[in-house]
Amino acid sequence: MFVEPSARAIRVEDPEEVEKEAGRSSKITVVPEGAEWNAVEQVMLQRRSIRKYKKAQVPAHLIRRMLEMGRYAPSQGNCQPWKFVVIRDSAIIQGIEDFCVGECKKTSSAIDYASMPAGSFKRFVTRIKAKLFNRLQPNMMHPVPVSGITAIAEGRFAVFHHAPTVILLLMDKRGIGVPPIDIGICGTNIVLAAQSLGLGTCWIGFSKFLNQSPEWCVKLGVEEPYEISEAITVGYPVGNPTHLIARETHEIGWFEDGKKQVLY
Amino acid sequence: MALLSKQERRHFPDWDDSEQCKFHRVAVDLEKCDGCKLCTIVCPSNVLELFVDGNGKKKARVKENHRGCISCNNCYAICESGAIEASHHYDFVGYYRQLGRGEFSKPRIF
Ligand SMILES: Cc1cc2nc3c(=O)[nH]c(=O)nc-3n(C[C@H](O)[C@H](O)[C@H](O)COP(=O)(O)O)c2cc1C
Ligand code: SF4
Ligand code: SF4
Repeated sequence: MFVEPSARAIRVEDPEEVEKEAGRSSKITVVPEGAEWNAVEQVMLQRRSIRKYKKAQVPAHLIRRMLEMGRYAPSQGNCQPWKFVVIRDSAIIQGIEDFCVGECKKTSSAIDYASMPAGSFKRFVTRIKAKLFNRLQPNMMHPVPVSGITAIAEGRFAVFHHAPTVILLLMDKRGIGVPPIDIGICGTNIVLAAQSLGLGTCWIGFSKFLNQSPEWCVKLGVEEPYEISEAITVGYPVGNPTHLIARETHEIGWFEDGKKQVLY
Repeated sequence: MALLSKQERRHFPDWDDSEQCKFHRVAVDLEKCDGCKLCTIVCPSNVLELFVDGNGKKKARVKENHRGCISCNNCYAICESGAIEASHHYDFVGYYRQLGRGEFSKPRIF
């Protein structure tokens, strides 16, 4: 039976009063203006997408360390809609490479009119088709991924970059809110951990082609309600891709003191 | 008020028209380049190649017919001679026109 408690609950008005009363106040530390990058910032700035790897395999414990950081990623409602598949078997990596290359060949010859002989009938018809798809799926049909797909189809570019380890990030489609965001954050933890351990990584969006292969899905354990969201290749980079690079700045709307400023 | 006009939102650029798909050409400083080849193997868009200059020395350059330097600066990151750099982003007309972008800048300390 529910009993109304006689004592009144203590209302907490000001959280800072609480920590003070408890004698457990935390200190505010301000990193001074103009301070050098700290270790975490350095890792974020030096991370590049690595697409050429040495043959040496990455020790298993380092992959476990990276995935451990993924496990601690924030997620909507703490739903953690991820599952990892680690592939370190060169025959399987070659198999999924071959499958995705095949899909790129089909896709390229179905849509990429720009790679077809000038003035040909095929180019003319494909252009009309591509323009329609472009309207229906503008994110996928951006000129950059389309030229990437053709480069893969023509053998100028690889899908998994012949990396010694490939991590598939599987997404539970029932995740709260917008689960692809959680996968992105989880993968970011993994990638930055890798960078801090001296490893190179690359996100592989083209890995999504694997969802179209029932055979590979069975073999890799990709079943409902999971799907492959992204993949991350891991290995030791070739060369020293360490110089801090320039990138464009982006508009920042900044509201303070009753004013709006636009910063970059 | 929209940043893209109705007309722009309906226009998807022709993938084969360099006026509609503007991909930046990175600049290689041939004085500094020592022909190590690393940029050509790491470039994700396969737009860089080596050639032999008038003095018989290997140098990097952008291929004549290329589709799609993505301004990622992978080439700059790996070049130990400081000979190559992307300083402009790709841009398109119509639906994919870039918005709210400022100049390229190295990481800034605040
Ligand atoms: C979700 C996602 C998917 C990506 N997919 C691919 C891919 O399939 N192949 C590839 O070579 N790079 C891929 N990339 C890497 C981007 O091209 C790269 O992050 C971008 O050019 C910036 O370069 P940086 O990572 O070296 O800073 C992907 C990146 C992200 C975030
Ligand atoms: S990495 Fe630098 S030095 Fe080496 S080939 Fe490219 S531009 Fe030349
Ligand atoms: S910026 Fe990136 S895509 Fe462009 S040439 Fe350099 S490595 Fe290649």
